[in-house]
Amino acid sequence: MTAVLAVSNLSKYFGGITAVDDVSFEVRDGEILGIIGPNGSGKSTLFNCVLGQLTPNEGEVRVDGRVTTGMRPCDINRLRVSRTFQLLQVFPQLSVRDNLVLAGQEHQGSMYTRLIGRADAGLGEAAGQMIEFFRLSHLADEMAGLLSYGQQKLLDAAMAFMAGPRLVLLDEPAGGVNLTMLGHLRERLQAYHAEKKATFVVIEHQMEFVMALCTRVLVLAEGRVIAEGTPHDIRRDPKVIEAYLGH
Amino acid sequence: MKRLAVIAVAVGAAFAIVVPLFLKPYGIYLSSTWAVLTIAAMGLNLTLGYAGQVSLAQGAFVGIGAYTTALLMHAGVPYPIAFIAAGLVCFSIGWVLGYPALRVQHHYLAFVTLAFTTLVFLVLRNEEWLTGGTYGLSGIPRPVLFGWSTNGPVRFYYFSLGVLTVLATGTWWMLRSPWGRAFIALRENPIRALSLGLDTRRYTLMAFAIGSSIGGLSGAVFAPLVQYIEPLSFALNLSLNLLLMVIVGGSGYFFGPFIGALVAVLLPEWLRFIEGYYLVFYAVMVMVMMAFCPTGILGLVERIVKAVSVKRSPPQPALQPEGTSP
Repeated sequence: MTAVLAVSNLSKYFGGITAVDDVSFEVRDGEILGIIGPNGSGKSTLFNCVLGQLTPNEGEVRVDGRVTTGMRPCDINRLRVSRTFQLLQVFPQLSVRDNLVLAGQEHQGSMYTRLIGRADAGLGEAAGQMIEFFRLSHLADEMAGLLSYGQQKLLDAAMAFMAGPRLVLLDEPAGGVNLTMLGHLRERLQAYHAEKKATFVVIEHQMEFVMALCTRVLVLAEGRVIAEGTPHDIRRDPKVIEAYLGH
Repeated sequence: MKRLAVIAVAVGAAFAIVVPLFLKPYGIYLSSTWAVLTIAAMGLNLTLGYAGQVSLAQGAFVGIGAYTTALLMHAGVPYPIAFIAAGLVCFSIGWVLGYPALRVQHHYLAFVTLAFTTLVFLVLRNEEWLTGGTYGLSGIPRPVLFGWSTNGPVRFYYFSLGVLTVLATGTWWMLRSPWGRAFIALRENPIRALSLGLDTRRYTLMAFAIGSSIGGLSGAVFAPLVQYIEPLSFALNLSLNLLLMVIVGGSGYFFGPFIGALVAVLLPEWLRFIEGYYLVFYAVMVMVMMAFCPTGILGLVERIVKAVSVKRSPPQPALQPEGTSP
């Protein structure tokens, strides 16, 4: 079976610094892969290379067998690949509902048919369902910028699911989120995964979150893959312990 | 809030329709100028206010539109065709001018567009064989549309108001469509927009091209309004004035240019008694507004309305408990 995402020998340099060093891995259909590693280990750079925000110096990325290296992020997104960013990336001057419609509208018809079509691009109902799914109904018409940090994180994640993606890459979804909101976010991600059978790749520092959510974990240190396995194995891997604790 | 806005628009529209009945010819001429400047500022509001692309070239597009219309009318081309041609020429040039916006942003982009304005001014002034140079082009006729002559202040005012209404309706339609949301996304966070599948390159070019073409159409109404055009009218001053109109009215608010143009047209008249000092007054007003209300007059109104409505509604919980959908 073809992997949903296949990364082969990917490297990215910034001047003399190697941010990602010959990384290869595959993500299989329906799995939740966690990517962990200390700060500066190259996790976000890896995401940015996979999703077209950065062009890798070496290596290749394939989505469903199709080479996507060098493609623009908007073109990769149209292959039903979506993402969240490490830092909050909602549109503060748009309502929660409009943020969600925006997240899905480019998948509805062509640019020109959208101009003459419906204002909500036919996504009003889908946005309503997503708002309900993430339990944001009471905030649906609020400007996103007025929401709390945790609520914006939920909205950010909800936006990644609006276009019905096959593959979702979540960059530190739990970062800066309080424990109550964290539990809610994890539960919603698990519910979405169970319902839609989507494939997730999650970068996260919050180990409990990763261990509870992911079926397989990849560990990066200094841009290289140092371990790969089930959450249970990874927790006991001496190389991982050394990378994190430095002894 | 929505009801208030609808009432305000209805009152404003009714006022715009009856206003010539109470004005002398000069007042009606000023009202037509307001309509023309509102169209130009509306185009800039699309490029700058919605899509976030700084432009100091809108005055130049008004000029290109005005000269295109005047030259074509002098060549015997019917006004409707000259009008459409003005829009198309500015659309094409605006599209090309959008390319630098793909590489530079903010004040760097402002400098690129400023250079373009200077270039257009130089062409209008120096290419005498085409533009009449510093003498400009005179004798631009008022159009006759389907047998209805727009000659006379009241007739031309209603013609200008009609063009403004049609273009405002088209712009409103576009801004309420997914394109409007895409333009705002472009302004607020182009990287996130790109990751959500928005072709930011095409939307940036569209924002420039459509905004410029609306500027050109404003020039196509300006030319028969004044019936004489010369290069100085379209120099940097006009671009800066249009920028101020957008900012003073409320950048990114649909009706911001309507208010901004009203202030720009009426203020010099109201402050005529202080002669040249009105510019000092205007400058101080803009500085005070930028310091205390950078979102312009409509931003201030919105803030006041929101403050009143927040007082009336209780705060919302962080998370909605399950099974309590309103």
